[in-house]
Amino acid sequence: MDRLTRNWLTLIALIAMTLALSAFDGRPVAVGLLALAFFKARAILGGFLHLRGAAGWLAAATVPLGIWLGLLWGLNAALIR
Amino acid sequence: MRIDDLPGELLLWILIASELLIFAAGTTAMMAMRFTDASGFASAQDLLDGRMAALNTVILVTSGLFAARAERDSAAGQRRSARLGLALAALGGLLFLLVKWVEYAREIGAGIGIETHPFFTFYFLLTGFHAAHVLAGVVVLGLVALRARPEPVQAGAMFWHMVDLVWVLILPPIYLLG
Repeated sequence: MDRLTRNWLTLIALIAMTLALSAFDGRPVAVGLLALAFFKARAILGGFLHLRGAAGWLAAATVPLGIWLGLLWGLNAALIR
Repeated sequence: MRIDDLPGELLLWILIASELLIFAAGTTAMMAMRFTDASGFASAQDLLDGRMAALNTVILVTSGLFAARAERDSAAGQRRSARLGLALAALGGLLFLLVKWVEYAREIGAGIGIETHPFFTFYFLLTGFHAAHVLAGVVVLGLVALRARPEPVQAGAMFWHMVDLVWVLILPPIYLLG
């Protein structure tokens, strides 16, 4: 199996996990859903946009994404307290 | 970490970063607006069909695989195979738009519109703007398939992956977080 197909399978697995987790509510679930979104974005950036092979650039792209998703979680957590 | 290490054209990376910032701003504004009417936003969100969004995610990441394969094949000089990959990726884009169309039609049929609730203003603006990018991406994939040369195919695939990337990031706040 080539790297592109493996990356796609990873994405499909992450989508399946999102679907399973979305049946539940609460703060930990929100963390899980946003973490899954982060890993999907990382798979697209690293595997399809080839940042995995560009020294330092995958982290440069995913760290701000992680901070932003953290901000969304904070807003969501404040709403459901 | 050097600029030269980035795969593809720098201009495309600037475009990808700009698009991510635009969608991130819209999504963050939507999340912040929930504070004005948390229960109203939650009730409005409950009217969406998350299964359609999940189906569209599968369609989009699968079309992303075909675009990535087309890029690889084009770089290897396999133009016919690259064209097939681009055609399948574009077909995925059209399928995505069809599912989105059905989703919109159901919502509009249920009396939901852009002014029904602020949530739906954000929902239609964010997903509609994204759908416009999908449509543009289908056109781009078609154009680069004409000659199937490595650099334009890479640029087309990068645009397509950006559309994919935006979708996986805006999906949880719009459909799932409540």
